[in-house]
Amino acid sequence: MDRDRLYRADAIVLRRRNIGDADSIFTLFAADRGRFDAVARGVRKARSKMRGHLEPLTRVRVLVAKGRSLDILTQAETLEAYRPLRDDLDLGAEALYCAELVDRFTVEANGQHDVFDSFTRVLDALATGAPRHVVRSFELALMALSGFDLQLGACAHCGGSLPGESILLSAPAGGFVCMGCRGQSGGGRLVSRRCAAVLRFARDAPIETFGQVQVDEALARELRAALADVIHHVLDREPSSAQFIDDVRRAPAQLSP
Amino acid sequence: MLRVPEHEAAELASAILDVKQKIRFCSICLNITESDPCSFCRDESRDAGLICVVEQPLDIIALDRAAAFKGRYHVLHGCLNPLEGLGPDQIHVRELLTRVKEGQVREVIMATNPSLEGEATAMYVQRLLSPLGVRVTRLARGLPSGADLEYIDDVTLARALEGRQDL
Ligand SMILES: [Zn+2]
Ligand SMILES: [Zn+2]
Repeated sequence: MDRDRLYRADAIVLRRRNIGDADSIFTLFAADRGRFDAVARGVRKARSKMRGHLEPLTRVRVLVAKGRSLDILTQAETLEAYRPLRDDLDLGAEALYCAELVDRFTVEANGQHDVFDSFTRVLDALATGAPRHVVRSFELALMALSGFDLQLGACAHCGGSLPGESILLSAPAGGFVCMGCRGQSGGGRLVSRRCAAVLRFARDAPIETFGQVQVDEALARELRAALADVIHHVLDREPSSAQFIDDVRRAPAQLSP
Repeated sequence: MLRVPEHEAAELASAILDVKQKIRFCSICLNITESDPCSFCRDESRDAGLICVVEQPLDIIALDRAAAFKGRYHVLHGCLNPLEGLGPDQIHVRELLTRVKEGQVREVIMATNPSLEGEATAMYVQRLLSPLGVRVTRLARGLPSGADLEYIDDVTLARALEGRQDL
């Protein structure tokens, strides 16, 4: 095969769509290529050598042949399978949510080492027992790397200080907004001072450090809701796997009609 | 293009139409069937206390051929796949819950594909059914990860069923 038509990439499998009887199209994210699609022919057959290596949330080394319309996966070898994320439904749901964010926030064929680094670090953290709120740190990092760095230190509108027991987090304004600027903020959600402080720390600290912060259930919910609003605004929709996190958590309660 | 005489084409068309009109979902297990309930659900020699849950109707054919399984089936018509927007309400998991709540079922065997989505579906159903006290088992590991059940060879499939474990 022509060498120029082949490339190698270390990537994380974001998603899979089955086509035909035995093929699948995979969306992968690589540090030096960004997000890209490639097809694996015959991957669903029992004897396919690539099968199992291309499961979503696997870090994999692939050899890809450039195709006319769609690139073709020719080899795949697992680098990290993130087994704990497969054995735990809640962790798996959080990790898939992170994968969906990468899928939605990034573009094809674009060097994105920082996004890849953040993504692998949040998967590593979740797989090694870090609390689930590390995902907030990842959301902030991913948004910042995608041009949506939230202004959390001062009013996003006038640059003034942010006194008071609750602070408005406004997605349209791009961060916190002071009392005087609320009218021009375009709307948002009031968060507690405690939530505001933790959001600042989550943005500035490494993911691993943020994982060591104790966050109670109520605060975890508030942090998640605050950033969910912003992400919804930026993406113009709620990521579908966000609902899934709640679905699996509430599973036993669905017994009541 | 397939060249057929006109009268044959008409016959072919009516045959296809006929198939479409006759085929429906079994009201009990959601298998594809011409008569409702399907032959598996009507068969009194099959143990109604044992339900094997699969993703697709074709999986039933594969399992039944390979595994000498004498219980009943339930077809989810998919698996949980949050990135594709497939949550619990998009697959037929509620109908399974209803069957188990009726009280006859002793064991539910999760035979979803050994893929990330299939495993998540199995864990979800286990979580959903656990308050009802029913035993939920999973086909034994050892099947290659990421595969479609349809393509696993018969021996592997039969062994997997024999080696099932509690979730
Ligand atoms: Zn202001
Ligand atoms: Zn039936």
